[in-house]
Amino acid sequence: MDKHTPQIIHIPDKPRVPPSQQPTVNVYASIIEPKHANTLVRRLNQIAPLENLRHVRRIRRRHLQVQGGSPELSVILCLACENETQFNSMPPDVQEIVNSYNLCPFITKVSKYAALSKEEWDEQCKLWPTSYHPLTYNIDGITGFSEEDTKSVFSFMKSAVELAKSGDGLVVNAAVIVDPSAGLIIASACDEVCSWHMPTNKVKTETCCFKQLETFTSHADANRIVRDITMLSNGSSNNLQQCYTAISCLNPWQWAQHAFHRSHCYWHPLRHAAIVAVEASAARDRHLFPGSGYNEKLYEVDCTHSSSSISTTKRQKIVNLANVNNGGEHDAHIEGSHSLARPYLCTGYDIYLVWEPCTMCAMGLVHQRIRRIFYAFPNPEAGALGSVHRLQGEKSLNHHYAVFRVVLPEEVIGRTKLKL
Amino acid sequence: MGGGNAHFALVPVQGLLGQGWSSDNLAYMELAIQQAKLALESLEVPVGCVFIKDGKVIASGRNRTNETRNATRHAEMEAIDILLEKWQRDGLSKSDVAETFSKCILYVTCEPCIMCAAALSILGIKEVYYGCANEKFGGCGSILSLHSSALSHLSEVPQRKGFKCTGGLLASEAVSLFRSFYEQGNPNAPKPHRPLVQKEVE
Repeated sequence: MDKHTPQIIHIPDKPRVPPSQQPTVNVYASIIEPKHANTLVRRLNQIAPLENLRHVRRIRRRHLQVQGGSPELSVILCLACENETQFNSMPPDVQEIVNSYNLCPFITKVSKYAALSKEEWDEQCKLWPTSYHPLTYNIDGITGFSEEDTKSVFSFMKSAVELAKSGDGLVVNAAVIVDPSAGLIIASACDEVCSWHMPTNKVKTETCCFKQLETFTSHADANRIVRDITMLSNGSSNNLQQCYTAISCLNPWQWAQHAFHRSHCYWHPLRHAAIVAVEASAARDRHLFPGSGYNEKLYEVDCTHSSSSISTTKRQKIVNLANVNNGGEHDAHIEGSHSLARPYLCTGYDIYLVWEPCTMCAMGLVHQRIRRIFYAFPNPEAGALGSVHRLQGEKSLNHHYAVFRVVLPEEVIGRTKLKL
Repeated sequence: MGGGNAHFALVPVQGLLGQGWSSDNLAYMELAIQQAKLALESLEVPVGCVFIKDGKVIASGRNRTNETRNATRHAEMEAIDILLEKWQRDGLSKSDVAETFSKCILYVTCEPCIMCAAALSILGIKEVYYGCANEKFGGCGSILSLHSSALSHLSEVPQRKGFKCTGGLLASEAVSLFRSFYEQGNPNAPKPHRPLVQKEVE
């Protein structure tokens, strides 16, 4: 890696392991006669479904050269214990199949988790065939960024970094919510844990929203970021320890020890940058689309059509309020139209954070349906996107964002890490 | 609790149903349920809560995610904001506030989500009682266990604070409110990818 070139690294749903060292589980399998394949698979799926191994194919087909064309079929019978050597732990139903079809069970390994990359998939299939469906295949960037997108990512990260050092000598976390399709900053905010200028601040966040993406040149921009971060890590160097404890997501539990707050301000231990930025984007939404027309009208539509399905669509199919009112359920697809389109929460939006968010913020961003998170520095003690927790990999959640670390040039990162 | 998608599995906590709840327990949770009903009437995901200190209700809150278009405005967050504002107007210092939170008990109709559980840990709350478990988002045992205190895996820096957490208090009342809500349809949720199937485990 060119240490002078900034990089964007995808932080996957699970910690990366070398493709050849993926975890496996043991299963019982047996060679079967091709004519029995359908019956056996149907029966086995009933009595021994592979619940947590949906990526594993039940049948393996191998072409053996000696047999002159006719493939050898093997089927997974059921899970086996990890240190099993005897065939005594098969469920009775499976044992019955083994007996009635004269099968010869053997223990083999299959990959425990679905493949995240082509390389992992290739390795998995050496053990036993699996299917490969990247979980977030539809989120831009997982498979790499174009030069133009990379420039855009750095430009927005630069905005976040500038915000982070805009406080009175304190370094704080900063968040910038962006609509990438329009290159538009939707909302931006800093930590407001130490000083929350309530309630006038709300006015400020409502009006600071509209800012076109600046034009820039990539080299000048990268250099600016280098300089900014250097200042970030060197700035207020006398008091760096105190300085860094102001970054809310790094030290969420230490709010009560913060000495630096001004008595005329309110403070709030939970007003982390990401939470404040979400609040600002919601305020923008209410400001641009006043009244609660969205809720009520959609609700009316639902009622009058006595339909249980819900007329809100993902941002890719932007809801056109007029169309919904007139026509009800159809996908009001108005891309390219001039009508004002209202997104559902932050669906389709990205957020840029200087530091990896804590658990509270990371879950808030799940709730608000952020599409991609970019952060510059990891948060080893409290980060929830790979450091301590990994919310992007929590399957039960109803929304999953893609997470990227924007690695700024190496020499700068090294210095900052030392200071941290 | 999420303000959006209706894919919840709401499960009364079986093991605790037979537990002897005190009349105070029941009365406070009844107040939280009243808050959840207010949310339901406003077409919000019906979750409500009350904060108790020294046997007195000091704040209540209900979900406002649809109204605010801010999916982080869960009942707990609403009540916490009220308390922080009030205590600061009363002139409490940061350490006073931390001390006061450590004497508070929260009653909430649904297990706090991961975000709210993290927030409650950050504030250092004493204890939480909840109604039904939150199998999709729960941060007090269902998905993550943020209520159990943990030492840092990297250093001696004091890490998250734990709090006592008990589920299953008036769980079926909480679940029936969710059912009423999803029967009328969440007006603000995105169109589900698959048909909605209410998982009912009772």
